[in-house]
Amino acid sequence: MVSAVYDHLLAIVIVGVMFVSAVVALPAMSLVSIKAVDQQQLQNTALNVFNAMLLDTGQPVGWGSMRYFQKNDPRVQRFGLASQSSSGFYVLDPDKVQRLVLTNPLNYCDYSRVRQLLGLQDYGFRFRIIPPFNVTFLSPPTVAGDLLTYTAKVNYLDGGAIPNAVSEATIVSTKGQNEFDITQSGTVRTDARGICNGTVKLGISDPDYYTVTLRVTVADVATLVVTSEQNFNNTIARINIVYDTIILTSLKDPPNDNFKPNEDVRIDNIVAFGSDGSLWMLYDSQGKNSNDNMFNTGKGEFERWSSTFWGLHGFQPVVLIFNFWAVEQGRRQILIMMAYPELFGTTIFEYGGSPRSMGATVRVQRSVLISSMTYTAELWLWKE
Amino acid sequence: MERIGGRKANRNKGQMRIIEVILASFIIVFALSFVNILASTPTSPKYEATELEKVGYNALHDLDDQGLLARFVYNQEWENLTSALRVLLPVNVYFNATVYDLNGNALNNAPMFYGDPATFAGFKNIASVTYGLVGYPTKFNATYYEATYVPRILTLQLLRGS
Repeated sequence: MVSAVYDHLLAIVIVGVMFVSAVVALPAMSLVSIKAVDQQQLQNTALNVFNAMLLDTGQPVGWGSMRYFQKNDPRVQRFGLASQSSSGFYVLDPDKVQRLVLTNPLNYCDYSRVRQLLGLQDYGFRFRIIPPFNVTFLSPPTVAGDLLTYTAKVNYLDGGAIPNAVSEATIVSTKGQNEFDITQSGTVRTDARGICNGTVKLGISDPDYYTVTLRVTVADVATLVVTSEQNFNNTIARINIVYDTIILTSLKDPPNDNFKPNEDVRIDNIVAFGSDGSLWMLYDSQGKNSNDNMFNTGKGEFERWSSTFWGLHGFQPVVLIFNFWAVEQGRRQILIMMAYPELFGTTIFEYGGSPRSMGATVRVQRSVLISSMTYTAELWLWKE
Repeated sequence: MERIGGRKANRNKGQMRIIEVILASFIIVFALSFVNILASTPTSPKYEATELEKVGYNALHDLDDQGLLARFVYNQEWENLTSALRVLLPVNVYFNATVYDLNGNALNNAPMFYGDPATFAGFKNIASVTYGLVGYPTKFNATYYEATYVPRILTLQLLRGS
């Protein structure tokens, strides 16, 4: 009788262990397969979405260049960042990418709108554009007489030095009321430490103001443009490009776009610096005041000033150089801005959400061209 | 006496039933485990290799599209090719590139890699891209180019670091 009880107890324990094993172990084994299939599906979705973003122009094909773009503009029916003017793969339109910049004064599409356009209601994503390498000025450029000297370092993104990178300098300098000069140097190569030193003879001796813009190319394939003065004290206007049109907007968003102090400024020169290193003198007032080249920094319409320069989009501007004259105070001010500030330069552009849980996330990457300059585009996708 | 013996036999029979059930359960569990091992569900490192192949092909195609890949290979600009791949590929992607002729002889005397070459020997899921080049045109004057058929095969092995 006693041994029968033991038998039953033993049997219950063994069956119990088997039951727990079956409940815990077997699903765990098949969970690996389920996860693998889930990840495969997520990977396929990410690839499809990434291709839609990078290979499709969207609808309308030039949606990024539409004027008077509203926030989440309903005229955009399909999302895609590819350039309509290029037949190559992975060539992005900077006007379209600019519409993802949430600080764009001329409006943008927000994350939820882009998710809706891409049909990603059940997914979250993060889109990044990463520069191919880094360029830093080791010390501020110095001028002695009419000779300017600069030292810069070129690194891979992991910090390793890049030898033999080709650097070309463009120097903007001003002196007094009338002297404004742009000088371009020959090429200088980086040494084994990734350092390049350049000396440039300026058109103006002992300038009041000067800035160096470096165009650095690695292995003839990747180019980056940086300026020695990274943060300009801009008190005049925000500079925007929409296709062939340059638009200066108030420094502040509506309804605070009219503010004090305000002053009348005259645009004396506008020079565009292209991705191929060439310069284009877009505008020269020759020192004359007119309705076409003046505006008030703190008063007027939100779009303070605009002008269309046919062929500007095709020129692929990277940097815009503005030479202003403050009419009442009689002083000169230079503004050198990246044509698309958040895209070009050495910072990573990021757009989208963040994963809420630690679940599966997939990443796909491609090298893309924006204004003939190579960047790495990256998409993170996850299920929400 | 007989009755007692019959009870014992019945009890042993019950124990045997339990042992049979246990054995049968183990057989089922082993069978399921075995099926799970044999099932060819692709693991995530395999997707990773597929994705890396696309990244690698994208980089090589970019270089070829710009007319640089043939220049680097036929002019033996191995350092430039390495630099170009380093800036085109994402920072956490390691690579090992080799250029072969049609007889399978490696032509690059300088190694072209990023990352530790030993990693490529010990890593299981390495993506590999093969890119064929047929020749490189030589410029004779402003309008006349001549290209000789000298095929080269570029293999690019890729793996993602941490």
